[in-house]
Amino acid sequence: MELETFIKNFEEAVEDVEVGSLSGDSVYRSLEHWDSLAVLTVIAMVDAEYDLRLKARELKQMQTLSELHALLESKQSI
Amino acid sequence: MPKCHFSDVEISGIVTCVPPLEKCIDDELELFGGNVKQLERLKKTIGLSKRRVVDAQTTAADLCEKAARHLMKEGGVDLQQIDAMICVTQTADYLQPCNAAVIHGRLGLSKNCAALDVNLGCSGYVYGHWLAHSLVASGGCERILLLAGDTISRLVNAKDRSVAPLFGDGGSATLIERSLGAPSAYFSLQTDGGGYDKLIVPAGGSRHPHSTQTAEVLEDESGNFRSPENLFMDGAEIFNFSITEEPKSVKELLEYAEVDAAAVDHFVFHQANRYILSNIAKRLKLDLAKVPMQTVELYGNQSSASIPTAICGELATALADRSSTRLLLSGFGVGLSWASALVEVGDLTVCELIDYTA
Repeated sequence: MELETFIKNFEEAVEDVEVGSLSGDSVYRSLEHWDSLAVLTVIAMVDAEYDLRLKARELKQMQTLSELHALLESKQSI
Repeated sequence: MPKCHFSDVEISGIVTCVPPLEKCIDDELELFGGNVKQLERLKKTIGLSKRRVVDAQTTAADLCEKAARHLMKEGGVDLQQIDAMICVTQTADYLQPCNAAVIHGRLGLSKNCAALDVNLGCSGYVYGHWLAHSLVASGGCERILLLAGDTISRLVNAKDRSVAPLFGDGGSATLIERSLGAPSAYFSLQTDGGGYDKLIVPAGGSRHPHSTQTAEVLEDESGNFRSPENLFMDGAEIFNFSITEEPKSVKELLEYAEVDAAAVDHFVFHQANRYILSNIAKRLKLDLAKVPMQTVELYGNQSSASIPTAICGELATALADRSSTRLLLSGFGVGLSWASALVEVGDLTVCELIDYTA
């Protein structure tokens, strides 16, 4: 799973985030529009694009997009 | 479970009754703390719009009774010919007796009529059909009245953004009869009780009876207000559950019935919200024209009444135009519980959506 593509998918999943504005170091939970709806759309994106089940709790535990990406990669290898 | 099928049973009429009072998310900006962007995002992404809700005096039993009377009258069925009545609801009039007994009395049904409640929500309409089909197919009943209705709007806290704008109310009545030669109806029923607390009214039952504490409204970490006597929903978990289990269940039922998805005329899912419906449809690669989705935007998530509302509201003309229509019905939610049915519906004597009047 490529980090760059993942970030782009993430940006598209969360409304009002400009594509290209985030990086691996971005703390996604500090985004202005990070709310329960964004949690839902990111879970749906991860399911649709990567066929992985992400839990709301896991989204709360991670900080940056790189961390989230690493979590998904670990899920993928199971 | 078990997947199973029954033959010689037909669905002969459906009526759904909705309350006349309409609420619209556009009028509720204060619920979102004046955050226009958030409200617009909810409208666009989740598809929240209008919903119909009851007043403080009207119950699911009232809506179901009205639907049942209309069904009997238009369908020309004698109330004395009903052998069993099944009431699917999570918002019964009383802790006891069950709604089925209460409505049995109000309709004046025969004493030789079995009457029972089924305590299920969004999967309940399909479970009710499974029971009714099974009772008729076993030879125990000729004619069954299936009522399914809820007034979830009365369980939500008006200041809880995570549920208040989602739920509407409705009551339905469906007639199921023996009919020799009627095509097979296929069912699959499933449960995951490990998720019982993902969609729950925690207090007011026997586990945590009503007290001054359970009536106390508290603010949660997201700034939503509710008491333990209000409905709580873990939205992300319910969403995950829906998009994982629903497509799987539908696929498995079609395989069991040996019917291709292309041969199904309409996929009538529980009307949770447009976002969940389109995600399920996408995963099953369904033609969106075959998936009714407008019901939830007009009436809200009506729990056990949402599938019959979608049939009466969106498919009445399509059903009347053909001698036989193949429907896949599928409900999912509180329990967690989910169920799917593949049925063939012929020319219904009545298929109507009516407004409630006291």
